[in-house]
Amino acid sequence: MSKVVGIDLGTTNSLVAYVKDGVPVVIRDAGGDALVPSVVSVGDEGAILVGREAQRRLLTDAQRTAYSIKRFMGKGREDVRHEAEHFPFRVSGEAGGVVRIGLGDKEYTPPEISAFVLRDLKHRAEAFFAEHGEVDNDVDRAVITVPAYFNDAQRTATRDAGRIAGLEVLRIINEPTAASLAYGLDKRHTGLIAVYDLGGGTFDISILRVEDGVFQVLSTNGDTHLGGDDIDVLLMDMVMGGREGPTRNDARSRTAHDPSTAAVRVDPPETVVGADLQVGPQSPEDIQAIRQAVIQAKWDLSDRDETTLNGRRFTRAEFETLIAPIVERTLGPVRQALADAGLEPSQIDEVVLVGGSTRIPLVRRKVAELFGKTPHSELNPDEVVALGAAVQADILITGNREMLLLDVTPLSLGIETMGGVVSKIIMRNSTIPASGSEMFTTAVDNQTAVDIHVLQGERELVADNRSLARFKLRGIPTMPAGLARVQVQFQIDANGILSVTARELRTDVEQTIEVKPSYGLTDDEVERMLLDSFEHAEADFVARMLIEARNDADSVIQATEKSLRNPDFAEIEKEELAAGERQKIESVMAGLRMVLNSRDRETIQKWTHALNDATQHLAEVMMNRSIKAALSGKNVNSI
Amino acid sequence: MASSTSPTLQVCRDCGGGAPIDAHFCPQCTKILALGRQGDYFAFLGLPRKLNIDPATLERRFRDLSRQFHPDYFYNAPPAERRASLERSSYLNDAYRTLKNPVARIEYLLDAEGLGLRSPQEASKAVPPALLEEVFALNEELDEIREQRAAGAAAVAWQPRLERARAPIEAKRATHEAQLRDLAARWDSLVEAGGAASERRAVLDALRERILERNYINNLLAGIERELNA
Repeated sequence: MSKVVGIDLGTTNSLVAYVKDGVPVVIRDAGGDALVPSVVSVGDEGAILVGREAQRRLLTDAQRTAYSIKRFMGKGREDVRHEAEHFPFRVSGEAGGVVRIGLGDKEYTPPEISAFVLRDLKHRAEAFFAEHGEVDNDVDRAVITVPAYFNDAQRTATRDAGRIAGLEVLRIINEPTAASLAYGLDKRHTGLIAVYDLGGGTFDISILRVEDGVFQVLSTNGDTHLGGDDIDVLLMDMVMGGREGPTRNDARSRTAHDPSTAAVRVDPPETVVGADLQVGPQSPEDIQAIRQAVIQAKWDLSDRDETTLNGRRFTRAEFETLIAPIVERTLGPVRQALADAGLEPSQIDEVVLVGGSTRIPLVRRKVAELFGKTPHSELNPDEVVALGAAVQADILITGNREMLLLDVTPLSLGIETMGGVVSKIIMRNSTIPASGSEMFTTAVDNQTAVDIHVLQGERELVADNRSLARFKLRGIPTMPAGLARVQVQFQIDANGILSVTARELRTDVEQTIEVKPSYGLTDDEVERMLLDSFEHAEADFVARMLIEARNDADSVIQATEKSLRNPDFAEIEKEELAAGERQKIESVMAGLRMVLNSRDRETIQKWTHALNDATQHLAEVMMNRSIKAALSGKNVNSI
Repeated sequence: MASSTSPTLQVCRDCGGGAPIDAHFCPQCTKILALGRQGDYFAFLGLPRKLNIDPATLERRFRDLSRQFHPDYFYNAPPAERRASLERSSYLNDAYRTLKNPVARIEYLLDAEGLGLRSPQEASKAVPPALLEEVFALNEELDEIREQRAAGAAAVAWQPRLERARAPIEAKRATHEAQLRDLAARWDSLVEAGGAASERRAVLDALRERILERNYINNLLAGIERELNA
């Protein structure tokens, strides 16, 4: 049996974990390191480097190296205009289209870059399983985590990344909820839990009720653009003089009036950034050197009261003054989530901290203050999300019913109505899967198509919400204006991803929907990237063939079921089918169902052919009847 | 939407057997039933069509049913069953969310009894007769405050006025909450005692009127809120 894993695809670092004998374990490299930096670099000869190797290249070849790509997932060019300047790599893309990241002479979409990280994790896991003497060490299925506050486009982009990496994405789950699963394992919790997740690029807060092994999210909130990266940018601005931070003022006045500061500038070399870097243009590599220095200083200040940055003393107090506004920004979403759950902070039984940025003492203090209790941090905040993802993967594969995760959709879903106003169809914090429907009609006589604009967000006006997709409903039968009744059904699945179907109720005609994701890739594009990215062409080819075989089998089963359900079937059977013909069809169909989810493509195909053969006569009979009915002008039942 | 004459049976699409309206799995072939002729939210959750629901019972039913047909447990099932699990879970989540909220619960009951509010907009159009007096007074007050503000008056001058204007409306809302509770209790006792259709109808009509007024009041208060924050 091939292996399933849980993957935490982080802004800064990514990890992979799996469940061994009911216990989730993080997979480490030979050196015991679990974290793979989410950094991708393109070498001179076009070779793709991932992780630590890529990270080192930030100091030597920054423009060909991409990091914090999670911030670009599901985004359009316009969304990232302001932030692009902070990155050494080229950020481009057509207006209204997906962001492109230029590395060397090639351009990549964010899902493609994330796919390189995912593939590295896949290989890491496969090497680990091979080393541990597992029979089948192929890793082809995964649960991947995303911030709870990710919108549909960002979730879809993450799923696309998985597909491009050659992984079947079993489920997209939310990071804070994954963390709660990992925490809930050893202790049978009952009560209200708040998960505060401050990572490299994103902030989430989720409020859960846990009872009888059901982890039910009551509300979630967050900011997909708030995390350790923002702290780094503040520190870099301070060092480079772009911002009048307290430190810089301090340094400047001392340099001007007190010659003794000269002595302070002589410091241990590891975190020194040359004083000359404070003025004039810097190379991308210099900027990366500064970035690494400020990150080191930030880490230092989680354990110590002072460190050295840019050749001078930098205290925790100064650091906290500088980052206080960022920490403060996390508290608004926390209060909103509590209000949405109808709870006071004091009602929360346990607070769990997730994400590397929760190591910052100020963050811990503020969270403890707000909830009035000391937060949990027994599990490594960097690893807990991957552990939870592995648990969810295990639930899906084994059907283990001990635990169940019930998550919510973080943002309301709506459609554009007259005057650029959003009409909400599914409210935020609805438990998923969730569905909603809306009735549309035509505005002019014989109109055969309706345009629908789907949005996500809480604001009233279209312009203030996130555009998810535009749909064109086609094939509406011609009739006078206002008579057509097109019911559009919105379905958010357990991944938090939307799908749309439509039906004209007067004629019961299923409508064709053309999906144009506002900031996503089309299926064709993903497919092409999948082909482009094939590293082990043969193995991936086999996987794709298997999927195709399953799809074929599915459609034959569905067609057969439809025929058997036909209201006239009993009559047809009596008049036109041979004795035992129906029983044969049913048993072949049952056989095909049995093998459908196996990984044996040939067997699936064999059974598919068998079902095709068994139903051929029935199909002919049905077809003849339809033709006859059509010629005699009678209504044909469910063709 | 289910009406009071809703069907009592559903049919299993897999084996063609019949199943009670509140069943989730086919009694014959044990497969999960496809959505299509399921019961209304009350029946679906195995609850009587009453307005006072014990929150703990609702939560427990919700968890139990989630454990029966959440898509997590159908990952390896054939497509038709996966679809049934997705749709049944979505319906369950809708039912749970609707019945958890006391007002949404009343609105749903009215719907199920064929007395649904046609649209959310219906609430804001006509002034309910019982509120005419308050609304008239409030509008006059609001007009004057707007003039005051347009003339450049400071917030201290008009804000207390606005707050005062809101007080009678707030009081009305409190009365409404109490009336809704009473009507809900009467409905429940009629359901228990198997009360006459005409009696039930009278209670439903009264509920409907109170809900319309309530929605109107809420819109009014939201309007004042916007005015205060503008």
